[in-house]
Amino acid sequence: MNKHKSIDEILKKVNDVKILHKRERRIRVDVAADSLTTVLELLKGQASFVHLSAISCVDWIDDGEFELVYHVWSYEENCLVSVHTRIDREKAKFVSVYDLYKPADFFERDIYEMYGVFFIGSPRMEKFILTEWHGIPPMLKDFDSESYVQNTFNWTEYNPDWLQELEQQGGGIAIKPEEIRLSGELHNMSTHRERDKKKKQDNVKGWKS
Amino acid sequence: MRPENYQAVQLGDSNEYEIFIGPNHPGIEGNYAFRLLLDGDTIVKGTADAGYLHRGFEKLMEGRLWIQNLALVPRICVPDPAPMEVVYSMAVEEIMGIEAPRRAQWIRVMQLELSRVAAHLFTFGGHAATTGMYTPMFWGVADRDLVLDLFEEFTGGRVYSIYNIPGGVRRELPDGFLQKLSHLLDYLESRQNDYDNLLFTNQVFVKRAKNTGTLSKKDALELGVTGPNLRACGLEFDIRKNDPYLVYDELDFEIPTQQHGDAYSRILVRRDELFQSIKILRQVIEKLPSIDGPIRTTIPNPLSWNVKTGEAYARVESSKGELAYYVVSNGKDKPYRVHVRGPSSMHAVQTLEHLAKGARLEDVAQIMFSLDACPPEVDR
Repeated sequence: MNKHKSIDEILKKVNDVKILHKRERRIRVDVAADSLTTVLELLKGQASFVHLSAISCVDWIDDGEFELVYHVWSYEENCLVSVHTRIDREKAKFVSVYDLYKPADFFERDIYEMYGVFFIGSPRMEKFILTEWHGIPPMLKDFDSESYVQNTFNWTEYNPDWLQELEQQGGGIAIKPEEIRLSGELHNMSTHRERDKKKKQDNVKGWKS
Repeated sequence: MRPENYQAVQLGDSNEYEIFIGPNHPGIEGNYAFRLLLDGDTIVKGTADAGYLHRGFEKLMEGRLWIQNLALVPRICVPDPAPMEVVYSMAVEEIMGIEAPRRAQWIRVMQLELSRVAAHLFTFGGHAATTGMYTPMFWGVADRDLVLDLFEEFTGGRVYSIYNIPGGVRRELPDGFLQKLSHLLDYLESRQNDYDNLLFTNQVFVKRAKNTGTLSKKDALELGVTGPNLRACGLEFDIRKNDPYLVYDELDFEIPTQQHGDAYSRILVRRDELFQSIKILRQVIEKLPSIDGPIRTTIPNPLSWNVKTGEAYARVESSKGELAYYVVSNGKDKPYRVHVRGPSSMHAVQTLEHLAKGARLEDVAQIMFSLDACPPEVDR
């Protein structure tokens, strides 16, 4: 039996809240960015959602938005509420929930590092995992790992005599160096999509032959 | 941080000095550094320093097919890899709206519990070694190896089994496997006295572990501590019971708890959990032969599989605590986003820093290992 008021009842005063009961013990809440702290405060204060399970960030590059998802769990209700909100991708600033949930320290720092979203009021907005990294935040969709690797490292072909002999006998490395995914042709294509398309075509050819 | 980039802190006239522990040291199952500010041998402040095992799994997963990622996920936590693939499969299943057949669910439970047994045996040994007792370490690793032999037999891989796929498991169990499992459980139970005598009631260990790294229930809840570390503070909570997945609601087992929240309580909780896992495995041995049916549902061709648009937050109780995956799909053949919430990301950073304050230098390794943190879960 529920000890607390239902989520719908608690959140009905907040503007623009969409509540979706996804399945047993899983509720999705969609809320505007400026009401997010209110919703979390209500959930923690009135419905015992004391455990911040995680804060996830999703980069919706086509919409020009970041989606922040706060997963909170109640030890009394045995229910997980995921509070979704969207913020502007260009500004990439949001308010910290560290006052409410201490684990936010870790998650917000992680998002700051990987996505570049600055959390105002978070105690440690600094590098943690990528201390030697100077490029753009790597989890952004416009960071392309493949071209970064291509531009940063010098690739050398590994084709010693003994391997050539093996290959003449039909053994050795199955994929020839010019066929591997970092070939020049792929590298010259400007966007990720073009490259994906090209790779897919190659794959199809490969399967057919 | 690379050593050559580190600038020593000038502390002026104070007696405090800095010590770098790690990234390789006995206190943890991987590479993880801990920067300490000491006064004498008392820690004034500890700062966690991660990043030595960052392999960019979350980014890599966005560039691979749904099915390819199953070979990546177990590598996120070496000592306890099975929950990773199960929770990833569960998340994809939830988005797809499919469910693994009952037989597959029972096999998954068996895999998860075997993995938990292996991980706890590893932790016993590691924790004992941080107090200078090396025999339990060899015992723990040797007994874990017997579990790995079983993994090899039924999944093909000793550590990374890559046995699950969304919709079920890959292979049927080999003939006579359950009998072998039963023998192993008999053996592990027969070892209980040895472990108790040498480790759990041994005063050399008990005196070191008691009242070391004590965490109150209030602090544990505030810091987001989960799993055995939370149960050692007295909260009876287990995702297998309170947010049941697979067939855990049909199984009979208890949630072991302790009250003091110190290193000794934490290892005792793990000891009791090991025997609860054996109890669960016995039930699996009993029930699995009577559950017929397929081991996986039909799924589309995995090489051109477009998972429909949606998102799911799946969580399981791993040997370290709450392990969750947030998976987002935009209807393509690759995930749009996978967020890994490892339990150690809470234990090894804020909790460790909290517990280190005021502790003594010689206890740091033990506090770290008693939290059973797995650094790759922090770095990912």
